[in-house]
Amino acid sequence: MSDRFNITVDGKPVAAKPGETVLRACQREGIHIPTLCDDTRLDPMGACRACLVEVDGQRRLQPACAWKAAPNQNVKTHASSPRVQKHQDLLVSLYMADHKLDESGLPIETANSNQLRSWAQETRPVSLEAVEAPRAARAGDKNPYIQYNPELCILCARCTRYCDEIEAVNAITLTNRGSETTIGTAGMKGLLETTCELCGGCIDTCPTGALVEKKAIEILPHQLERKVRTTCNYCGVGCQMDLNVAKVNGQEKVVRVTSPPPGETVNDGNLCVKGRFAYDFIHHKDRITEPMIRKADGNLHAVSWPEALKFAAEGMNRVKQRHGPGALGFISSARCTGEENFLMGKVSRAAFKTGNVHSCAAT
Amino acid sequence: MKSFGAGVMSNSIPEIRDLDFMFVIGSNTTEAHPIIAMEMKVARQRGARLVVADPRKIWLTEYADTHMQLKPGSDVWLINAMMKAIADEGLVDKDFIAKHTEGWPELKANLQKFNLQEAEKMTGVPAAAIKAVALEYARTRKAAIYYTLGITEHAHGTDNIFSLANLVMMTGHLGVPFGGLNSLRGQNNVQGATDAGATPLYYTGFQPADDPANRAKFEKAWNTDLPAGVGLNLNAIMKGVEEGHVKALYVMGEDILISEPNTNHLEHGVKELEFLIHQDIFMNETTKYAHVVFPGANFAEKDGVFTNTDRRVQRVRKAVNPPGNARPDWEILADFARAAGYAMPHYKNAGEVYAEIASLAPRYAGISHERLDRTPMGIQWPCTSTEHEGTVYMHKDGPVKGKGTFIVTNYRPPVELPDSEYPFNLATGRVLYHYNAGTQTRRDTGTMDKVGECFIEVHEEDAARLGVKDGDMVKIVSRRGGIKAKVWQSGRVQKGNVWMPLHFVEAAINKLTVDVGDPLAGTAEYKVCAVNLIPIKPGKPAQAEAELQAVRHPQH
Repeated sequence: MSDRFNITVDGKPVAAKPGETVLRACQREGIHIPTLCDDTRLDPMGACRACLVEVDGQRRLQPACAWKAAPNQNVKTHASSPRVQKHQDLLVSLYMADHKLDESGLPIETANSNQLRSWAQETRPVSLEAVEAPRAARAGDKNPYIQYNPELCILCARCTRYCDEIEAVNAITLTNRGSETTIGTAGMKGLLETTCELCGGCIDTCPTGALVEKKAIEILPHQLERKVRTTCNYCGVGCQMDLNVAKVNGQEKVVRVTSPPPGETVNDGNLCVKGRFAYDFIHHKDRITEPMIRKADGNLHAVSWPEALKFAAEGMNRVKQRHGPGALGFISSARCTGEENFLMGKVSRAAFKTGNVHSCAAT
Repeated sequence: MKSFGAGVMSNSIPEIRDLDFMFVIGSNTTEAHPIIAMEMKVARQRGARLVVADPRKIWLTEYADTHMQLKPGSDVWLINAMMKAIADEGLVDKDFIAKHTEGWPELKANLQKFNLQEAEKMTGVPAAAIKAVALEYARTRKAAIYYTLGITEHAHGTDNIFSLANLVMMTGHLGVPFGGLNSLRGQNNVQGATDAGATPLYYTGFQPADDPANRAKFEKAWNTDLPAGVGLNLNAIMKGVEEGHVKALYVMGEDILISEPNTNHLEHGVKELEFLIHQDIFMNETTKYAHVVFPGANFAEKDGVFTNTDRRVQRVRKAVNPPGNARPDWEILADFARAAGYAMPHYKNAGEVYAEIASLAPRYAGISHERLDRTPMGIQWPCTSTEHEGTVYMHKDGPVKGKGTFIVTNYRPPVELPDSEYPFNLATGRVLYHYNAGTQTRRDTGTMDKVGECFIEVHEEDAARLGVKDGDMVKIVSRRGGIKAKVWQSGRVQKGNVWMPLHFVEAAINKLTVDVGDPLAGTAEYKVCAVNLIPIKPGKPAQAEAELQAVRHPQH
């Protein structure tokens, strides 16, 4: 702790660690500095200019995301600097001139939210003449999950840096130059024809909703009933994820899976293609919905729970009486919860007196 | 685990990005554990060294400094040769060995059999590479080993693990942060299922079932008499079904007719069962023979915990209701036990079930649903009291079993080797876009867009000899059965080897595999079996038959 030092932000002391940026020190203290291109998982890029602050001794405003804190440094954010406020108002105005707006004149809300919209509400943007930037989308990209809307892209490169620095497949990149700069792939091919593994981390990191999930694209964040933090049910990494629940035709459904914020959980906000996108099975039409027993005609028939339980218990007890408990086997599941596996062990040992119980855990 | 007392990930996932050396053996990490692979790639980009030992050119090899492309089933040779190189160079951790282990002299003597030149012949990995990797591992402090089913799914799987444990202990990479021996568990709760006691060997929390004191403790808690000793493991239960002395099964959440080895034989046994209860979320092959079907709930529809591969207990939370009359599986089990005449408590929620687990197993004593709800990172066991913070890395004060034991291992060839009739060695595995039997991922359009049908990876020289090209159908036959798949010259497999994913019901690969289990673990040999490939040319059966005769007697 001895290597900590103080900087001054808007007149107040803020603790910082050697090598730390002004932004991270401020975030730890709960001081709000707007950002668009920042993601704690990525190297700072300083591309979006949203986090510019005044630093004593510096003629220009400096990006808090890249500026290293130093002892006794004096920093002013928009909270105390009219110059920073003026910069932010103009910057938001410039972004909005090159952005799709809704009827109220604000950056549109997307299924993946839009931080530019909330920032516009915190600042005083002026109306500038709209720019029609010729950024290209990838026509004919047939990938099933990831949609790119160039009219919402601010070229912060979070998606391309994530694809490079974290997922490390380099499927997407900033391509073309000047006002034509866009998020491209090699030969502007669809994502299915690239090294893309469809992890969807680009959607998760996109601040403006230029990247959105194609499924349930019409369901906006404010229309969700709730988000439920849970553990992924696929592999053994135990990624934490948020199940987004919305009402569809009056019924509550999981309509989307999103990442928890980076830094909070074991997966640091990362998910893979299965965890993020392969959730259609949850409400699939093939789900078994009724208990069933096989009757004399050789077919399974739906019955009530009490009837099914009685039939099942009698069947197992009959075999136990006829052949002894050693003739029974209880196969549990590594897909089910700890509590359920515990109960399968208890059912086998306590109710049927056999240790013949195993989950598919061996494989 | 017999070597040092816990067959789990000794260290933690968040440590990976700060490692300096990673040795990944028998783990197709990018496809089977994508987020752990992401951490490895982040470490690699930071400058850490990555060595991958795998018979196939898996994706991760594209990021690796060294790919040791060993012959299938030669792991024991490779690892022992690495140990010999380390010992010869005088890089053993004498302090660690003296303080924390036993059996080193015997192991050291046995290593003399594994010289580098012979190792190159047996494994196909250049002697210089084996030596270089071994010495770098021994010299690097922040060095960890990761393995998964490529190591365990062999009839000599435990020998492979003992060998790795020996390597870790002789270099003192145990009981330290950024090190250890890390078994990456394949399924969401494969760790938790064993932890909870769904195993014939242990009561909840790895308390041996053959210890009368444990039995007495659980008899008191559960207020009934319990069976003495251990029961049958999964492989033995399935053998019992085939042989007819296991007469009734309760199967929850598994399709035994897809997932178990040598399924042709098993299916016959399942048909003859006197009673079969199947509890699942979808109908599958096993349901066809069930006398009762219980509709369960999936992870989004119930409460509970999963324990991940780094011993992290985390909450599963209900988001939506199950469809129709489907119910959470824990409720069904409790009701079933009562219907069968056992006085199972009336648990109000899954948290009450967990409280019973915590009360019976000291290593989870400090964990509860309430505490997990306050802990977004989860809690890593052992966690022995409500004040205990959990365990980020194990064996801090020496191996948990007291002294770590060096267990001498010797090479044993796979149960079934290629011969003139079945000239190819088949291994099975997973792809990123699907999960196990595909029950869930094959119901998603996107994952099916990426990988929509079964394929078999074939070396280009073998494909040329067979006269097949990418997309051609072949019949794959072993001594136990036959299936079909499309040829893919992926450039990943070695000559004489073929590889198939296991996710496709219509090409049920376990009709081919060997059901001989490891003598200790009972784990089946999914990674090595001998097959032949027979090209299928549409509309030309006579020609196909002629070619079949030709490939039955290939010139090697």
